[in-house]
Parts: sequence; structure tokens; C-alpha cells
Amino acid sequence: MEAPPVSVMPVTGGTINMMEYLLQGSVLDQALESLLHRLRGLCDNMEPELFADHELVYLLKGQQGNPFLLRARRSLSHPTAPWHLRYLGQPEVGDKSRHALVRNCVDVAASHSLPDFLNEMGFRMDHEFVAKGHIFRRGALKVVVSKLSRVLVPGNTDNTEPLSLSSLVELSVLAPAGQDTMSEEMRSFAEQLKPLVHLEKIDPKRHM
Amino acid sequence: MSGVGPAVRVSIESTCEKQVQEVSLDGMETYVPPLSMSQNLAKLAQRIDFGQGSDSDEEGVEAEPRDPQEWGKTEAEEDEATVKFQPSLWPWDSVRNNLRSSLTEMCVLYDVLSVVKEKKYMALDPVSQDPSAGKTPQVFQLISKKKSLATAAQLLLKGAEKLSKSVAENQENRRQRDFNSELLRLRSQWKLRKVGDKILGDLSYRSAGSLFPHPGTFEVIKNTDINLDKKLPEDYCPLNVQIPSDLEGSAYIKVSIQKQAPDIGDLGTVNLFRRQPKAKAGTQPWHVKLEAAQNVLLCKEIFAQLSREAVQIKSQIPHIVVKNQIISQPFPGLQLSISLCHSTGEKKNQRASPEKPKPDDHLYVLEHNLHQLMREFHKQTLSSIVMPHPASAPFGHKRQRMAGPMAYDKAEISSLQQNEGLLEKIIKQAKHIFLRSRTARTIDSLASRIEDPQIQAHWSNINDVYESSVKVLITSQGYEQICKSIQLQLNIGVEQIRVVHRDGRVISLSHQEQELQDFLLSQMSQHQVHAVQQLAKVMGWHVLSFSNHVGLGSVESIGNASAITVASSNGEYAISVRNGPESGCKVLVQFPRSQSKELPKSDVIQDGKWNHLRGPYKEVHWSKMEGRNFVYKMELLMAALTPCL
Repeated sequence: MEAPPVSVMPVTGGTINMMEYLLQGSVLDQALESLLHRLRGLCDNMEPELFADHELVYLLKGQQGNPFLLRARRSLSHPTAPWHLRYLGQPEVGDKSRHALVRNCVDVAASHSLPDFLNEMGFRMDHEFVAKGHIFRRGALKVVVSKLSRVLVPGNTDNTEPLSLSSLVELSVLAPAGQDTMSEEMRSFAEQLKPLVHLEKIDPKRHM
Repeated sequence: MSGVGPAVRVSIESTCEKQVQEVSLDGMETYVPPLSMSQNLAKLAQRIDFGQGSDSDEEGVEAEPRDPQEWGKTEAEEDEATVKFQPSLWPWDSVRNNLRSSLTEMCVLYDVLSVVKEKKYMALDPVSQDPSAGKTPQVFQLISKKKSLATAAQLLLKGAEKLSKSVAENQENRRQRDFNSELLRLRSQWKLRKVGDKILGDLSYRSAGSLFPHPGTFEVIKNTDINLDKKLPEDYCPLNVQIPSDLEGSAYIKVSIQKQAPDIGDLGTVNLFRRQPKAKAGTQPWHVKLEAAQNVLLCKEIFAQLSREAVQIKSQIPHIVVKNQIISQPFPGLQLSISLCHSTGEKKNQRASPEKPKPDDHLYVLEHNLHQLMREFHKQTLSSIVMPHPASAPFGHKRQRMAGPMAYDKAEISSLQQNEGLLEKIIKQAKHIFLRSRTARTIDSLASRIEDPQIQAHWSNINDVYESSVKVLITSQGYEQICKSIQLQLNIGVEQIRVVHRDGRVISLSHQEQELQDFLLSQMSQHQVHAVQQLAKVMGWHVLSFSNHVGLGSVESIGNASAITVASSNGEYAISVRNGPESGCKVLVQFPRSQSKELPKSDVIQDGKWNHLRGPYKEVHWSKMEGRNFVYKMELLMAALTPCL
């Protein structure tokens, strides 16, 4: 089936344009325990929750320009929970002194027929992976420590293989654009995690 | 001192001050140690030419100690000059020199001997063996002794200083340790963090789910303003806390219900009286302080929440927020006031103020419930924040995330939105409490006013905050077993009272006091008639007619009159009772026709069988009857009318 021509429109998320402020880092599995311990102390006093998610990355290739990328994610531990469809924009270029990566972000909760729907729309799955780990919260800050695994047989999430010997640490917050106090807050939080993990703003484009 | 020949000019300079004793193989020069003063003296004395003349000699000897240095220098230079240059002049110089020196020595010896002999200028004393000790003058000895004593003293002083320093350090260490242990104890109970060189703590309820914007930070201070030498006071604590000034003192929320509206001038000036925080034994002063501050913070949060709601909520009679008081009208003519009492200074300690509020003014239950509601609210905010699954999803209510995929309609979404606020809940509770107390008062006043029939109320101990129930029994004294007709279950809600009859009828009464009173009065009047019915059964009388609501007779203002007619077992007598809540009871007895004397003998009914016709009614002067209550009187009456077998 020939993909229909696509015009990529700027995406706006509802009335308020939400931005994701992101810092990333990685921690070796040996140091994971102490990092979790530290996070437990720093974050809001609720028990850290375990999660197991399956993420599918869909691409819509148009005639010209960059392909349009959507991330669909579902929880393996909570099968009844709605799927999560996410669009992430390009990182904002701008203030170099800003401490966090800022990008446009649209979050949609979706029903379980999301993969079929995306397929019907012409999206094709690019890759998939399984992320398992802990999720913490400190106010509006979200800290996700996850271990990424490769899915060996497409669609079978039981048969996985760890991608590396380390875990991904992400510190993110959703806020309306222009809230630079947020990035300041994130920086100070990231400062407290040193030297266990160095959270930095990592431009995904540079690593492609 | 130029040379002899004009062609050669030699310039002379003195050699180095110290003479070289020997030069070792590695080139190291060993110097002759400088002469001590006595040696110098001896050396100089050697050079004196005693032969030159006694006058000059005497002067020279005396002058020697005065300025030996200067004198020695010039002499030495001259000496050296002769020593250096004469060898080149005369070949016999050494012989001459030796001769000369021996001559000099001889002369000196001679002079010395002559001087000693004369004893005019000099006396010889035996020389002590120790040259330095013997030759050191007493002044020097003294000075050196003083010096060594001083060094000894200095050493001792240094030691003492070190000792005292270590003692102080010890004490300091101990205090430091105390501080650290106190800090540890503080840490186990309060949230602390280090910012710069300060230790800040958090006494807010934010971690428990509070959204109150007050930072609620306190600072931990090391208590050092105490003199080390003095004995530590009893309540000394090395750790002190500095709480924000607006959280100092004590505070509480006062809730009260007043009947009449106070003057508008009184608004917002709630009398404060300070409740002294009672320190439990064994608790640290900082703990008491922090707990008090936390309580103030919670009270402030409650009040802020209530005032915000009071302004936002639309009600028929708007809530008034004035200063530290919120006034609401739950029922007409009734006023609920919630006030924040915060006393800071010690000057508020005048407890014996003339207008000290009466203890019953407080609604402690509501005050307690307010705190409880606030905590519930905290818990709700905390528990509503569940971690999102999948992890990439944003924080938020799970049900709100479900709304899209599950296609919720407007009603379902709006049901997610808002639950009742704190103020609404507390007003409802206040209404209920008020309604309950008024019901109790109504029942009590009826019970005390009306002795017959008796009214009993059984309150249930366990209540909901919005509902409680009471069982009302109407009985006659002494006949509790047979008169169980009226049992009412009163369910007191927020706005109304639901009455459940024994037979299952449900009546709803409003919050008006009169309604309940009227209802109970009508029930009591019905009870009497019911009691007669029950009594008739026991006594073997027959019920001829019974009606709870009689349509005849005068109209009652409350409810309806009820009536019963019973006939004796042989049918000769009949008793008819009409009882109204307002008109009271009226008892009539019907006699058999034969017994009525005043009935004119009719010509028509001559036959004996007509004797069984019912006769006329006669009213009983009920108040003149014997008996302590209605049923007893009735029993007596029935007994009197029952024929003896």
C-alpha cells in the first residue's frame, strides 16, 4: 500500500502548549542500588513504583521532509491502563545557558486499539523496546530509572535481551513554555545526584 | 701603609674576622672559635708594652676593660702590619722578634711582679679551676638564672595553657557531641536539609499532601551563647530551633454556634485565651516548639482553606469572612462562627479575662473534625497522585486519563471534578450537631413537662458525622409491659428528621423544633388510647370501636384526637375515651339501661328484653379519679365496672 502524502503540521497540545524539560544520564548496574537509595531519600515519601512498559515507535514517512515520529507505550504491569501516545518535538535551540533540554510534547491517553489505528493511518512501526525500572516523583519532577531491553521476536515482550549493562536515568518535568525556573530546579536536583549519575542535556540528533 | 718601593703598590685589607684553623680535605674550613671576653682580655693584656712607661701602663690597664674592642682592633692591625711586612725587610727578623717578645714578656713579668708586690694596684687571688664560672660576673649569673627561670616558667605556662585548652576542647567536643546527638534525634523526627552552612528543617505538611504555600521552614541553631565556666542550667539544650515569626505562639480553631447575631462591632475580635502547651516530661524543648509551630501552621492552613471556600461558595446567605472569623448561617436565626485564634506574645497570658468564653461555647467535636477533615484532604491529595502507567504518561488522576479512551460523557467527567469542600462539610456537620442537640432538648423538655405518659429516649452511642438516631418510647408508668404501642425511631440527619414508626410508616420532619414537638404530643395522646386498648385486652373487655383520627368533635390544633370504646365482658358497661393532644382526655361510661334512674320509664319498652339496650353516657370526672396515671385510673374504672362473679 502506498503511503498517502503527508503534510507535517505543527502540533499544538490543547490550549496550553506543554513543553518537556529533560535531563538524561545513565548509571551502571552496579551503582543502581545506591542511586535508587539516594532517590528514595530525595523524592517525595512514597514508595517508588516499579513499572514495566512496552514502547513502540511509529514512523510516518512523507514524500519530503523528516518522517513523523510517534511513540506508543503501554504498561505491561497494568494491562488495563490506557495506552499512551506521545509526540515529541525537536529540541528547542535557543538559550545555551538553559540547563535542560526543552522540547514540545503532546501526551494523549489512548485506547487499546492504538496500534491498529496507527497502522491504518499509514504509520509503520520502526522499532520497539521494553523498559523496566522504577519511577519516582518529587513535586512536579519525574525521575524514571529504567533498564532498556531489546525485543528479540517482534511483538513478544517476554523474550527480551538487555540492551546494555547500564540503566537510563531520566529527569523530566512537563511545564508550559518559558518556565526557566523549572530548569533551574532540575539542575539543583541533578546536582544532588552527583556523582552517582551525571544528568546532562543530551541532544538526540547528535547521536543519530 | 703603602709599600716601600715606589713601583709596587700593595693595598692591604684585613683577613676575615675569624681565623682559619684548618682546611680539611673536602675544602671545609674550620675556624678558630671567637675569643670569649676573658680570653680577649688576656690576649690584649699580652700585647701591652709595659716597658713604655708606668704612667701610660696604668692608664692602659685601667682603660682596657672599658673599650677593649676598639682598642684591640687598631692594635691588631698594627701588629699584623709589622708581622706581615718585616720579614721582607730583615732576615733576622724572627730572631729579633723572639728576642723582643721574650723581652716583652720579661718586662711584663717584672711589671706584674712589681705591681703585685706593691699591692697598691692589684692583689692576686687564687684562680678557680672553672674558667667560665669563675670569670662570669654575678650580674651575668643573675641574668642567666633569671633567663632560665623565665624559660622554665614559660614552659610551665605553655603546658597549663595547653591543658586548659584541651579541657575546653573536651567540653566543646562534648557539646558538639551533644549537639550531634540532638541533631540526630531531631533528624529522626523532622525533615532536615543542609543549605550552605545552615541546617534547615521543614515543618510543613507538604510531604503529607498539603498544598498550603507557606514554606514552613525552621532553622537549626547550635546553642552557644552559654558560658562554659558556669554550670549548665537544667533545661539547657545544645540545639535550638528558629521558627518563622508568624508561626510562633499557639493557635487553635474555635467553632461555635450562637443563637443571636452579635453586634457587627464584635466581628473579628474573638477573645483569645492562651492554652499553655503542656510539655510532657522527657521531650526536648525544640520538639515542643516545633510541634506548636506545626499546629499553628495547620490551623492557618485550615482557616485559609475555609476562607477561600467561604468566598467561593455561593450560598443563599453568603458567608462572611471578617479578619480571623468566618460566619455562616446554617439555619435561620443561627450562626456558626469559625475563628482562628492565634496568640503570639506572652502578654496574652491574662487568662482571667472577664469575658472568658464559656466552656460550652466551643464545639470541640467540630474543631476536632476540622483537623480530621484537613488531614483527610491531605491524604486525598497524596493518594490521588498515583504513579502513571506507562511511565511516560504525565502525572495526574488515573480516572482523568481514562476519560478519553473510555469516552466518558459530561456527567461522568463532572463527577470526577469536585467533591465537597471543607466548609460545606463542616457546615453540614454543624447543622447535624445542632439538630441533634435540639432534638434532644425537645424530647427532654417534653419528658420533664409531661409526666403521663412517660417518654424515654435511647440515644445510640455510635453516630455518623451526618446522622444519628434515637429511639423514643412512650410508656405509662407501671404498665411498660403491656403498653408498647408507640416506639419511634428518629433518624436525625443534616436538614431533617426522619421518623420511622414501629409499623413501618415514615414521616419526615423539618429542622423546625415545633414540628417535632407537635408530632410527639400527638403520639403521646394516641398512646393513651392505645394503652386503653391494650388494657382492655388484659382486663377481658371488648373493643367496640377504635380510631386514631376521630373526625368528630372539636378540631385539634395539633394532629387529631383519637378515640376508643370498650365494653365490659358481660356487655353491661361501656367506656368511651376520646383523647386529643390539645383538648385532653374525656372519658364517658355508659350504664346499662336498667341502672339508670334518671331515665324516664318509657311506655314503649316495657319488656324485660329491652333492659339490655344501652343506656345513657355519663362523663367521668377524670381529674377526680384516684390513681397516679391515666392507665391506672382506667384500670380502676374498669375494675369497678366489672361485675363480681
